[in-house]
Parts: sequence; structure tokens; C-alpha cells
Amino acid sequence: MIARPFASILDGLIRQRWVTAALVVSERDGIVVESNLQIGQSGDRMAALAASLYRKARLSASAAGLGAVSFMQLEAPAGRICAVGGGDLVLVVVAEPAVNVGLVRVEMLRAVGELLAIGGEAA
Amino acid sequence: MADDVRRLSEELARDPGSRVFVPLGEALRRQGQLDLALKFTLRGLERHPHFADGHDLLARVSVDRGELQKAFDEWDMVLRLAPGHLGALKGMGFVCFQQGRLAQAEEYLSAAAAQGDGDEQVASAIEHVREARRDRAERPRDPSRLPTGTAHDPRFLFADVLSEAEQTALLLDRDGLVLAGAYVAWDGRDVGQEVGAELSGVTDAARRATTHLSLGEWSSIVFETEVAVVAMTPSTNDGLLVLATSRATPLGLVRRLLDRCAERARRWQGGRI
Repeated sequence: MIARPFASILDGLIRQRWVTAALVVSERDGIVVESNLQIGQSGDRMAALAASLYRKARLSASAAGLGAVSFMQLEAPAGRICAVGGGDLVLVVVAEPAVNVGLVRVEMLRAVGELLAIGGEAA
Repeated sequence: MADDVRRLSEELARDPGSRVFVPLGEALRRQGQLDLALKFTLRGLERHPHFADGHDLLARVSVDRGELQKAFDEWDMVLRLAPGHLGALKGMGFVCFQQGRLAQAEEYLSAAAAQGDGDEQVASAIEHVREARRDRAERPRDPSRLPTGTAHDPRFLFADVLSEAEQTALLLDRDGLVLAGAYVAWDGRDVGQEVGAELSGVTDAARRATTHLSLGEWSSIVFETEVAVVAMTPSTNDGLLVLATSRATPLGLVRRLLDRCAERARRWQGGRI
């Protein structure tokens, strides 16, 4: 049986309306740790790009003296990417434009503690 | 030090319910093994959730990991569990100072000094904070209070769009160089060039992500940091508009301000101002 330590986080997020993908990604190398995707989506590519974006935002903010990044969201005409970091892991959500970002943000920030705890165990 | 870690690890292995996770976590933290320190501390706190020194250690590990707000919250917890905890007061003073909240920093450090153990480090920190407060008071910080004759100075392009002193906006060209606006740091310095150079790199990653995921051209990026909310949107000729506000600014308002600043930038770049 395959262990799914982040199942409750990812399943909770993917149940949100208009969310199309929820992934836990290693920030360092952009590799998928666990994911819950709609059929036909490529998790690997999504994970690598989202992790790279979050990492860049985190490093830039730190270099600019703004401190650690908690929540990040990117908006585009055909969708949104949201990310929060927890240790070496990044929780990523990809959603359609109609998604309730406020709700997703709250859920994601709530999951950070769990991400840190489980991520620490897994590390 | 390595011997300490080994001895303490063995002790913890013999008695997983002991409080030895605190000196063990501290030894690991001092060695720079932050992930391990965090792991042992979190495990220890699962067994001892009301142990103030455990939360104090978690706060110190968080500082070392660059997570200032998390550290502050942990020390806040320490004070609830052990009112007047010296380490927590000093730590919260440090975090407030780092975040530019000088008045609160002085309050926490003064409370630490009042514990009365004559800590020279605390006295020196208080003096440092007071000096920074005096320095800040002497510098003009609010760009909306413009000196006369600066109406056509591009540094003040967004001054009347932004409503508070903690809001600041920058317009960057495609190379990350400042075209207009200013980024005023907590100490009154304009660090727009440095901030612009660092943040403009995010746009390449954003473009790559939206292109490969077929999301279309990105229209905005917002990220929340420990001290600010930063919002960015593309501008004319591959430029970039960056808005930064205090953490207290609601995200919906941040978006409205970003739209207003973008409109101002468009008009200015179109020669309509």
C-alpha cells in the first residue's frame, strides 16, 4: 500500500470548487511529493514550475528585506496558482479563475502546521 | 558539542517522555542542524504542549530559519505559559525591531530589563532601539507629505494614490530599474533600486509558469511576507509595477490600490500626466 501522508490536506483542497490540482512539492528540486489532480493534468510539470515560482518569490522577498513569504498567489486569465511554504515543502493549488481565493488561502495557511509536522517526519 | 548531542540523544531514546529534548534541540540549533532541531522540538512539544522552555526553543529555531512571525507567535505562547519569561521578552523585542516595530520593540525590551538581572545585552539593545526611533523621527517618511516643488518628481508619482505611510509603490522598467515611485524602508531610506532589482526576477518565473500551464499572460502576483504584502502587475513595455503595504492592509484593498497605481503608471507612461 502506498503511504499518502498529505492525503487529508490535498483531498480537502481538491474538494474546493474550481480547484483543479493540489500538490505537495519539494521546494528544492520541484519534485512532486504527493498530489491530487484532475484527470489529464501533468503534475510533474506543474510542480516544477510552481515550486520554482515560489522559491523565486521567497528568495527575492528575503533579499529585499521583506522577511519570509507565507502565502503567494499568481493570477492569469485562465487560472490561478496559489502556494504556501512549510519547511522544504510547498503546498500548491492550481485553480480556475472563478475560485474563491479567500477560502483557498485560509485552508492552505491552516495546512502549514500539518505540512511542517509531517514534512519533518518524512525528512 | 557532538558528544553532547550523542549523550542527549541517548538519554531521549531511553526516556522519550523526558524534557531533554530542549537541551538536545538547542545543541542541534547551535550546530546549525535546524531541520533536526525543529523535528525534535515539535516531537517534544507534542508530549509537553505546556512546557514554556520548549516553545522558547521552537521560537529560537524559527528565528534561525528566518521565520520571524512564527517565532514571535511562539514567544507570545511562552508569555502566556510563563508570564515575564525573560527569553521571550528579549526575543519578541528582537523580532519587533527586525520588523521595524520600534515602539513595541522598546516595550518588550524594557519589560525584559525590568526583570532586574542587569543584562547588559538588553540595555544595549534598548539603547539601539531608542537611537533608531530618534533617527526615524528625524527623517521625513510619508511621501504624501511632499515638499513643495516636487509635483513633477517621478519619485512621488503614486503619493496621492496611496493612503497610508506604510504603502509604497515602484514602477520598474524591463531591466528592473526604477522609473518612478519609491520604496521607503522603515528607517526612512529609499531602497527602491535594491527591492526592484530583487523582485523583478520573479516575473520570469511567473511567465514561464503561466506559459507552460496555458494560463495566459499573468496579470498579478501577490505574496504575503512577515512584514509586508507585496503585489505586482505587468506594466507598459515589459515594465513592472510593485506595490508594498503593511501586513495590516486587507488583501482586497491591496488589489484595488494595485489597480489604481497601474492606471496612474499607464497615464504617466502615455504622457497624460
